[in-house]
Amino acid sequence: MTTIPLEAYLTLSLVLFGLGVFGMIVRRNMVTILMSMELALNAVNVLFVGADAHLSLVDGQVFALFVIALAAAEAAVGLGIIIAIFRLRRVDSTDEITDMRG
Amino acid sequence: MEVLILLSPLIAFLLIALFGARIGDMASALLCVLGGAFSFLFSLWATSRALSEPFSVKLYDFLPLDAYNLSLGLFFDPLSSVTASVVTFVATVIFIYSIGYMHNLFGQWTFKFYAYLSLFLFAMLLIVLSDNLLGIFFGWEGVGLASYLLIGYFHTQKKASNASLEAFVLNRVGDWFFLFGIVASFYLFGSLSILDIFARVSQVDKALLGLACLLLFGGAVGKSGQLPLHTWLPNAMAGPTPVSALLHAATMVAAGVYMVARLYPMFESAPESLRVVALVGGLTALFAALAATSHTDIKKIIAFSTMSQLGLMFLALGLGDRMSAMFHLTTHAFFKALLFLSAGSVIHAFHHHVHYIYETGRLKRYMPITYASFLVGALALAGIFPFSGFWSKDLIVATAYEKSFLWGVLVSVVSFMTAYYIFREGFVMFHGKEHFRHEQKEEPHESPSVMVVPMLVLSVMAVVAGFFEGWYGGILGVHKELHVDIAVLSVVVGLAGILVAYLVYVKGLIDPQKAYEALKPLHTTLKEQFFTERFYHKVLAGGYLFYSKVIYMTAERQLIDGVVNFTYPAVKGVGGVFRLLQAGRLNLYAFFMAFGFLMLLFITIFWR
Repeated sequence: MTTIPLEAYLTLSLVLFGLGVFGMIVRRNMVTILMSMELALNAVNVLFVGADAHLSLVDGQVFALFVIALAAAEAAVGLGIIIAIFRLRRVDSTDEITDMRG
Repeated sequence: MEVLILLSPLIAFLLIALFGARIGDMASALLCVLGGAFSFLFSLWATSRALSEPFSVKLYDFLPLDAYNLSLGLFFDPLSSVTASVVTFVATVIFIYSIGYMHNLFGQWTFKFYAYLSLFLFAMLLIVLSDNLLGIFFGWEGVGLASYLLIGYFHTQKKASNASLEAFVLNRVGDWFFLFGIVASFYLFGSLSILDIFARVSQVDKALLGLACLLLFGGAVGKSGQLPLHTWLPNAMAGPTPVSALLHAATMVAAGVYMVARLYPMFESAPESLRVVALVGGLTALFAALAATSHTDIKKIIAFSTMSQLGLMFLALGLGDRMSAMFHLTTHAFFKALLFLSAGSVIHAFHHHVHYIYETGRLKRYMPITYASFLVGALALAGIFPFSGFWSKDLIVATAYEKSFLWGVLVSVVSFMTAYYIFREGFVMFHGKEHFRHEQKEEPHESPSVMVVPMLVLSVMAVVAGFFEGWYGGILGVHKELHVDIAVLSVVVGLAGILVAYLVYVKGLIDPQKAYEALKPLHTTLKEQFFTERFYHKVLAGGYLFYSKVIYMTAERQLIDGVVNFTYPAVKGVGGVFRLLQAGRLNLYAFFMAFGFLMLLFITIFWR
């Protein structure tokens, strides 16, 4: 089995994370923003697992499991908030929710 | 027991102040009189003991320190106990009189008036009886406070509240000197007890002692209305007449003379300071007598005469004659109170609407008793034999001629003017034309007996007090011969003054109106007290106000307000910048987070 070099994991993780953050910044739809966050989290997971494979450890994998559980909970809460906002305001774009403007 | 002299007016004050509204004005007045009367009885008793043997009463340790134990107490010797008796007697008589005088104001919180009167008496007794300088200072401040409250008693009148303020401020200048005098004495003697001071008075540095004496005398100048702190005294006439009588006869202004007499061993050891005392006293005597000749306010004439007589007392003190000064203070207390009460009786007869002598006239017909008592007071003031003023003033005249001919002439001139101005007032008010007819339809009537009896009592005292001259000299350990030539001279001078007043104001030899027209600049100069009052009011007080206004317009309005007002635009500007960051957009916040994260990353990697 050819070993996948560490640089590949790092590159993939970085690209995914960058895409996730970029998505959070540029997308206006709240569900899409939530999805971008999942992308960023999974980029971190890839990094954890890849580093584990490279260093022959299991700590990162444990972390990755935690992150998956956390992401699930976060997605549930986040979606709940989004639905609540939608029910209240009938909007799904962040442009419409600027009540905290100073 | 002797403490009761002090305590009875104090208790009266507390009772009236606390329960006056409940027990009513009449009961308050009676309490006030009772406090004074008990105080008088106790001081008589104390006098009888003090005459045989001076004694001290320790009250309590006010400030027990390691190095020095400052205890307050009372000291009874002939000087203090006799003065206390005179003060309480005159004050009690005036309190009784005030029941009649203030009666038309009963029901309008007049109990306050009696509370202040009791406080006044208490503070004065504290000055008279204290055995140390700090106790005297407490009383000193107490009289200042009580006089402020009483002069401004008719506080709805602008004149009265201004006068009380002026009295307070000018007294404060004097008190400032007095306080520094006390500090200087403590520095010199290491003690504030007057007995300690007297014991060590010859051991200390003369120059410093003189300075301390001058500072203490500065306090007396303020309290006794001498030059140059005099303007409050005539203006204090804005208060009710019993207050004027109390102020001028028994309390307040007498305090200055008494204090110098009390601390006389100090002054005697620094003869240079006595020269200043004599100079200030002599100048004030002349100055006030001149001012009195030109005024027409019933009470102000008498007020100026008080200033003038106090000046004579200071002159006597300055010339080394404590006994005549104190004896004159005693007789003066009687006849000056009498003059004020008579003047108050006249004012009362016109329902307190009359203030100038030319608004009255020919009252002899309507108010014979008031006329008689005023006459007695005026004769005593003018120093006519055998009234009390003759005996005491004669002592001062004799002392003045003994010292130098110039002082003697000064005192004679003052005596001449004294006789002139007081009889001018008497003749215009009680003889002459009736000037009040067009003002008032009803005829003026004699005052009620509650006012007349005190006047009669004081009249008797004003006549007979002079005969105690030998006795008074005896208890102070001074014996003075009556100089027949000087006695004749001063009586002739007094009679001459009366004669001039008689010729002008009864016989009409010179028309006062024409004389006034001819001498108008002189008259104005005298009436304005050589423009000192105007100077104080316009230049000192006015200058202070102007200065305050300038400070207000620059430092206050420009500087402080500018800084305070600038905080708003400054905060708003800075906030406006940061406000842009808080756009309320989720995406922007996410961008900031990412940007911040990158920055932190950047710093941790490249910051070496």
